[in-house]
Amino acid sequence: MNPGDEELVASARRGDRRAFEELVERHQQRAYHIAFDFARDREDAKDLSQEAFLKAFTNLKNFDGRSSFYTWFYRILVNLCLDYKRRQKRAPADTFDETAKNEMEPSHQPQEPRSPDQQVWARQISLRVGQALDDLPARQRTAFVLKNHQGLSIKEIAELMETAEGTVKVHLHRAVTALRQSLADFV
Amino acid sequence: MAEQFGKLPGACAHQEENLVLLHYGDLAGTECDTLRSHLNSCAACKDYLQDLGKLLPLTIKTDEPPQTFWADYKRELRHKLDDAAQKPRWRQKLAPLLQPRLVPLLATAAVVALALTFTLGQNLWTTNEPAREAAAMLEVLPVAENLEFFKTLDVLDDLELLEFMGSQGSAA
Repeated sequence: MNPGDEELVASARRGDRRAFEELVERHQQRAYHIAFDFARDREDAKDLSQEAFLKAFTNLKNFDGRSSFYTWFYRILVNLCLDYKRRQKRAPADTFDETAKNEMEPSHQPQEPRSPDQQVWARQISLRVGQALDDLPARQRTAFVLKNHQGLSIKEIAELMETAEGTVKVHLHRAVTALRQSLADFV
Repeated sequence: MAEQFGKLPGACAHQEENLVLLHYGDLAGTECDTLRSHLNSCAACKDYLQDLGKLLPLTIKTDEPPQTFWADYKRELRHKLDDAAQKPRWRQKLAPLLQPRLVPLLATAAVVALALTFTLGQNLWTTNEPAREAAAMLEVLPVAENLEFFKTLDVLDDLELLEFMGSQGSAA
C-alpha cells in the first residue's frame, strides 16, 4: 500500500530524500499545470513549479501540519506564481514579446490538425484570453484558474487562498463577469 | 429582471453568482433546485449559462509536454535539491534570526542598546576620566621632580656662585 502524503512528509522531515522525491513524483504534473495556467509559458512553468518544490524541501521543518501538505505546497506555488505575475507587470516590455512569442508557439497548443483559418482563430483567442487573464486582479485570477483550469473545489481554493468560501465565490463570479465582457467577441 | 453589462447582456443580478457555481457543478441542494426552476422561465439567465459553457472552456490553454520533458524535469530538480541540501550551515543557523517576527525584535534590541550606550554609557566613561588623569599625573610627577633636581644642578655647576654663597654663609 502506498503511504499517504503526510507519512512521506514525516519521512522527508527525518531526512529521507526518497520520500520527498516520491512527493515530487505525485505532485509534479499538477504543480506544473497550475504554474502553466499563470505563466502560459513552458519554461517559466517548469522553473516556477521546481522552485515551489525546492522551497517546500528547504522549509519542510517549518511545516506544522495544521493544513495538509497538498494545501501547504500549492499555497507556496500559487504565491510564487503571483510574484511572477507581479514581476511581469513591472517589466511589461520584456514580457509582452515573450508572451506573444509563446502564444504563437505551436508546441503549446493541443496537437490537432487545423486549417490555417482555425490556427489564426486559435491564436487570436489565446492572445486575447492571455491579456484578459492578465487584466484580472491577482485574487480573482487565482480563484478562476484554480476552479476553471484545475477543477479544485471551492473549499480547496478557500483553504489554499486562506480565505472564506464566500469570498472565493465572489472572486470567481467577478473574474467570470470580467472575462465574459473582455471576450464577448468570441461568444 | 436581466441587467445590461457592457457589451453582453447579463443575467438576473442576484442569480449570476449561482449561475457561475452551477456551471462548475458547485451548486447543490435547494439553491440548485430554485435556480433550475428559475432557468425554465428566464431567457436571460439561460443565455448567460450557455455563454459560460461556450466561453470558459476557451480560456483553458492546455500544455502536455513530451516524456523527455519530464525526464529532464526530474533530473534538473534532483540537482537543485542536492544543491539545497549542501548549502552552508551558517546560512541555516542564521535563517531563524532572519524570520519576519525576529527582525523587528532584533532591531528594537539594537536601538535600546544604542540608547543605553549614549545615555548611561556616557556617565560610565566620564567617571573613568579622573582615574586616568591621576594615573597620568603619577607618571609625570617623577619627571617634574627630576626637572627640579636638574635645575639645582645648574646652580651647583656655577662655582663662583657657590663660593659666594659659601662666603656669605660664613660671614653670617
